[in-house]
Amino acid sequence: MKNILLVCAAGMSTSMLVDKMKKAAEAKDEEIKIEASSGGDIKSHIEEADVLLLGPQVSYLQEDYTKQYGGDNGIPVEVIDSLDYGTMNGEKVLNWALDLISNA
Amino acid sequence: MSNTGFQQKLQKVAGKISSNRYLKAVSDGLMSVVAVLIIGAFSTLLSEMAIEPYQNFITNIGIKGLLEIPAQYTTEMVALYAVFFIAFKLAGSFEKEGSSAGLIALMSFLVLTPTTMLEEDPVLPFQFLGAQGLFVAIIVGLVSARLYVLIVNKGLTIKMPAGVPPTVSKTFIGLVPAIIIVIFFTIISFLFTFTPFGNMHEFVYSFIQAPMQNLGGGFWSLIAFTLVVHGLWLLGIHGMLVVLPIYLSIWMPLGVENLDALAAGEELPNIVNTGFAHVFMMLGGSGATLGLAIIMAFLARSKRYKTLGKIALPGSFFGINEPLLFGLPIVLNPYLAVPFVVAPLVSVTIPYFLMSTGIIARTAGAHLPLGTPTFFNAVVQGGVVLLIVQIIMIIVTGLIYYPFFRVLDKQALEQEKSAE
Repeated sequence: MKNILLVCAAGMSTSMLVDKMKKAAEAKDEEIKIEASSGGDIKSHIEEADVLLLGPQVSYLQEDYTKQYGGDNGIPVEVIDSLDYGTMNGEKVLNWALDLISNA
Repeated sequence: MSNTGFQQKLQKVAGKISSNRYLKAVSDGLMSVVAVLIIGAFSTLLSEMAIEPYQNFITNIGIKGLLEIPAQYTTEMVALYAVFFIAFKLAGSFEKEGSSAGLIALMSFLVLTPTTMLEEDPVLPFQFLGAQGLFVAIIVGLVSARLYVLIVNKGLTIKMPAGVPPTVSKTFIGLVPAIIIVIFFTIISFLFTFTPFGNMHEFVYSFIQAPMQNLGGGFWSLIAFTLVVHGLWLLGIHGMLVVLPIYLSIWMPLGVENLDALAAGEELPNIVNTGFAHVFMMLGGSGATLGLAIIMAFLARSKRYKTLGKIALPGSFFGINEPLLFGLPIVLNPYLAVPFVVAPLVSVTIPYFLMSTGIIARTAGAHLPLGTPTFFNAVVQGGVVLLIVQIIMIIVTGLIYYPFFRVLDKQALEQEKSAE
């Protein structure tokens, strides 16, 4: 199973994107778990995550999170393209996230 | 605006501020007491709603007193809850037991709070347990939790022999820090009795909290705050997140003061508070974009913006407008920078002056959680009158966005036509 974790400020707008991604994931063969979290409760979700995606409004967290969770032994930590985020393009973000996992 | 060095530097600063653990502990701690404040707000609003038949009804059947009870133990004691959670969150950020730190902070806070004598019994007045005690709650919450972490890190705890159940040894870990920290604050409390203030609360309130609230509650602070939030957003930084510690620690107590005044039947002291910001500045999210979302969903002629408007509109009623900020986009888009800053400035300025001149009543000051729907939030803060003002502001801000949006819409329409 693949596990995708998204982070934004309050976890609200991200949860909208997550819904769209979940719909896109249903069409895939593999089992994919997608979760939204606010920065505060990231610790309780990060253990299981295979990729960490940040909302564009918190892109400044990337450096910090890469240090903590990314790097050579960690998972990919990337910022979601802002246009994909704004238009809530769940399918595109999902495919991109899956690519990140398989290339990691 | 390109991704310049200035912007990157600003991003770093914003990141530092919003991930600073002390500021974050203050914001997170105050956010944790929102449930307490909401119960208090509804208790006050339900017991004081200024509709005569309703007031007669609740007085006659004798539930007015009952409705007032929750406010007494929530809004009017909010500092007690806050001090616990601020310490809880700070200790947690150091990966230490939060509940011990919270408990110690609560004890320390009470040690600093003066009692008075009522005949022969000592009583604890409510004065500094509510809004007026919030700054001391912040200071004590942070200092005591930091001391707690320091003491635990130094290994100054009672270690239980192996074989003792972990829950038991957990209780003892907090004991030595508790004794040291409570003694520390007892000494501080004692020292303040030699000053003209008599206690720490009186000092902090008159020298720090009241001046900061005066400054932060004024018109120009409202303007500066609006400018900073939206200026940061234009650069792609979540502006509200960066200023959240100020927003919560200054504007939330101002709202609590209003609720207290409402409960006591006094005039509401503050125009600016988190309730006001929620109804007017965040009208549809940062940038007061609800009017824009409506225009896009119903009046856009290009497919691109019409679709986006329909995606954005439902969330906009709940103050969530990331689809507009990033999808339109507004962020890093010079075409929309002007209305994005001007719209919220106008939508806070007009109601401010309507309130300062007494034409409409001030907001009740209830701190409603993020995601509380538009219209409902206005009704809660000021009934039908405020709802009408809010609707007018949606129209006004929509008109501010309209000419700018028209240009973008036209461009998109032409592109779509030529692509066909």
